[in-house]
Amino acid sequence: MSGNTPASTSPSPSPASSPPAAEAAAPSPSGPGRGRGLAAAVGRGLIRRRELSIFVVCVAAAIYFAVTGSGFTTGENYHTIAQYVAPWIIVAAGEVMLLVCGQIDLSAGFVFTLAPFLVTTFTGDGLPLFPAVVCGLLLCAAIGLVNGLIHTLFNLASFIVTLGMAFFLEGMSLIASNAQPVSAPASGWLVSVLGKSRWSELIWALVIVAVMQVVLSSTRFGIGTQAVGSNPVGAAESGIRTNRIKNVNFVVASTLAGFGGILDGIRVGSFDPTNGGNETMFLAVASAVIGGTALLGGSGTVVGALLGALLLGIVYDGFNLTGVNANAFDVVLGIAIVAAMLLNVYLSVLRKRASR
Amino acid sequence: MSAYQGRADDGRTAGRRGRAGERPPVTAADEGGGAPEAGPRAVDRRKALAWLGGGTVAASALLSACSSSANGNTPGQSVKGGVGNFPSTPKWKFVFVNHVTTNSFFTPTRSGLADAAAMLGLPTPQWTGSETGDVSQMANAMQTAINSGAHGIAIALTDNNAFVGPTKTAFAKGIPVIAYNATAPGNYPLTYVGQDLYQSGYQMGLRIAQNVTSGQILVGISQPGGNNVQPRLDGLKAALKAKAPAVTVTSINTGAAQAGELNAMTAAYSGHSGAKGLYAVDAGSTAAIAQLIKSRNLTGKVHAGGFDTLTDTIEGVKSGALDFTIDQSAYLQGFLPVLYLYMYRLSGTLVAPPETDTGLTFVTKDNAGTYASANSVFEGGSSRSLINLPSSLTLPPASTVQL
Repeated sequence: MSGNTPASTSPSPSPASSPPAAEAAAPSPSGPGRGRGLAAAVGRGLIRRRELSIFVVCVAAAIYFAVTGSGFTTGENYHTIAQYVAPWIIVAAGEVMLLVCGQIDLSAGFVFTLAPFLVTTFTGDGLPLFPAVVCGLLLCAAIGLVNGLIHTLFNLASFIVTLGMAFFLEGMSLIASNAQPVSAPASGWLVSVLGKSRWSELIWALVIVAVMQVVLSSTRFGIGTQAVGSNPVGAAESGIRTNRIKNVNFVVASTLAGFGGILDGIRVGSFDPTNGGNETMFLAVASAVIGGTALLGGSGTVVGALLGALLLGIVYDGFNLTGVNANAFDVVLGIAIVAAMLLNVYLSVLRKRASR
Repeated sequence: MSAYQGRADDGRTAGRRGRAGERPPVTAADEGGGAPEAGPRAVDRRKALAWLGGGTVAASALLSACSSSANGNTPGQSVKGGVGNFPSTPKWKFVFVNHVTTNSFFTPTRSGLADAAAMLGLPTPQWTGSETGDVSQMANAMQTAINSGAHGIAIALTDNNAFVGPTKTAFAKGIPVIAYNATAPGNYPLTYVGQDLYQSGYQMGLRIAQNVTSGQILVGISQPGGNNVQPRLDGLKAALKAKAPAVTVTSINTGAAQAGELNAMTAAYSGHSGAKGLYAVDAGSTAAIAQLIKSRNLTGKVHAGGFDTLTDTIEGVKSGALDFTIDQSAYLQGFLPVLYLYMYRLSGTLVAPPETDTGLTFVTKDNAGTYASANSVFEGGSSRSLINLPSSLTLPPASTVQL
C-alpha cells in the first residue's frame, strides 16, 4: 500500500461512500445547503469516477512490485517513478484537453524535444534564463496555434496536421541542436524551480494537473471543450465558438509539452535531441486513454491521465527493478498495459453495479 | 525474449515457479468454461475473479522466466566455494545500461556479458536502457538499477551531463560504475572498456589516404554529435587533413534505423555520383554501403570501408565491395566489464580495472573468411563451437611503444 506514496496527493474519493453516490446522482448544481452540496459533489464525483478503478489498479500494481521485487518501497524508488511519470503527466494534461474536444496532437513529443533548444537559442543570444524560457514557451504556443489554425481554417484532420508538424519539429530539433546534446543550465534559483531540485518536476506536474482539471470541469471554456468534443454541431448551434476553443486547446497542449521538455532537460542536466519524441507522445496519449479519456472526444479527466501515467510509471519502473531484459521488456509492458486496462474495465463494471 | 537467460535455482524463485506451474491448468479450464457465454453480465463474478487471478499468476510466471538477472545461475554450479581459486561470493547482480538496447551491434556484447557471468557463477546481468538513444530514459534506467540494489553498473556514456549525478549516487552507495562502448569527459566511471574512438577514426583516415588522395568522399554517420560515433568522424577528418588534404569530406546523417541508413546512403551517392569513396563511422551505415555497392555493381569503381562486423559488412569485405572494416570487439565490451566489476568487488577495490581499448582490427579480404564462415557468438553469430586457429598466423603490426 505504501507503494504509491507519490499518488497519495491525487484526489482519491473514499470508496466507503457509495450509497450517498446513488442518492446524489440527480444533479443539483446549486444545492441550498452547503453540506448537501458537498455530499452531492463527492457523490457525483464517485459515480463518474472512472479514475477510482484505475487508482485501484495502480495500487494493485504497486503491491505486486512491492511484494515481488526488492527496492520498490524506498524513497529513492518513488523518486525514480516520479522522474518517469512527470513528463508524461505534463504532456498528457494538454493531450487530455485536445482529446476531450475531439482532436489529438501528435507533435507534442517533438515540441517536448525542441523546446529546450529554443531556450538555449535565446540564452545563447544573451537573454537571461527566465525571459528565454518565456520566449521559448511563446514559440511553443505559436506552434500549437499553427496546428490549430491549419486544422480549423483548412479543415484538415488534426491527426495529419500534427503528424506533419511532428516530422517538421523533429528536423528542426536536429537543426537547432546541430544533432548534438548540450549541457542544460545547472545553477540558479530558476533552474532549481524548473526541475533541478529534487521533486520539483513532479510538483509542477501535480500543479498543472490541478489547474487543468479545474479548467476542464469548472470553467465555461472547459464545458465548451467537452461540448465541442461530444457534439460539435450542437455546440456550434448553441453559440459556442468551436474553432476558438480548439485553437486554444492546441496552444495549451503545445505549451505544456514544451514546458515539460524544458523541465525534463534541466532535470536530466542535458538538452538532448533524442529526448522526448514519439515515445513520450504515445505514452502521454496512452496515459490519458488509460485514465479514461475517450479517444473520440467528449469525455475525460486530467486526474485520470495522472493516474494513467502513474500506472505506466509503476509498471515501467517495476519491470526494470525486477530485472526484465530489454528485448523482453516491451513484451511484458504491452501485456501489462492491456491486462491493467482489462482489470480497469472489469472494476468499473463492478463499480457501476454497486452504485446502481 | 532474451537468449541469455540463466536457470532459476534459488529457493524463492523455485517457489514462485512451482505456484505458477500449478495454476495455469485452472486458468485454462476457466477460460474454456467462460468463453461460450456472451455478454459481460453472463460472466459470473467469481469466474471472472478466478480468471483475473490466473492472469496474474501467468504474468508472474512470464516475469520469472524473463527476469533472468534476479534468479539466473550457471547450470551445474554446486554450492561450494567460488569459481576457480576464488572464495564464494553472493550472486552479484550487474546491470548494463545501453543507448540502443535492441541494436544488432550489441548482440555479441550480450553474449560476452552472459558468458563472463556464467564463467564466474553470477546471474546473467540485466540489459536495459533505451531503444532510441533517449538519454532521459537511460538515466532513469540507471537510477532504477541503483534503487534495485545492483552490485555493479556498466553504462554507455552517450551524454556528457546526464549520468554524472546517477554515477555519484551509485558510488556513494557502494556500486561501482564502468563505462563501456562510449565514454564522456567530466564523468566518473571507474574505467572505460571500448574502442578509443578518436584514434580508430584517425587510423581509418590514414587507411583512406592510402586509396584516395583527392576529390570528394562521403562519410555516413548514424548520430552526428553522438559520443560513440562523432569522435571517429573527427579523427578521420584530422587524419585526412594531415595526410591527404585534397580530400573533401561530406558527412551524411543516416539516422539510426537500418533501412533508413541504406536509403540515406543511396540518396547521397545519387546526388554525389562523382564521389571517390563511400565510408561510414557506424555499423549500420557501413552495412548500408556494402548493400549499396552490391546492388549498384560499384565494386572496384569506388573505394569503401567502415566499422564493425555486421553480416552485410563482412560479406562486402569478402566480395571486395568494401576495402576494409574495423572490428572493435563488441564481445569484449560485454565480457570485460563483468570480469572487471567482479574482480573489483571480490578484491575490495584492490584489483582496479584498467582502461581497456577493445581494439582496432582491420578486417580485409585476407581475414574476412574467418568472420564469414565461423558464425561465431564472438561476432554476433550463433555458433559456440571451437574455431580452429590457422596453422600459421599473420604477423601483427610492429609495436609502437615509446621507451
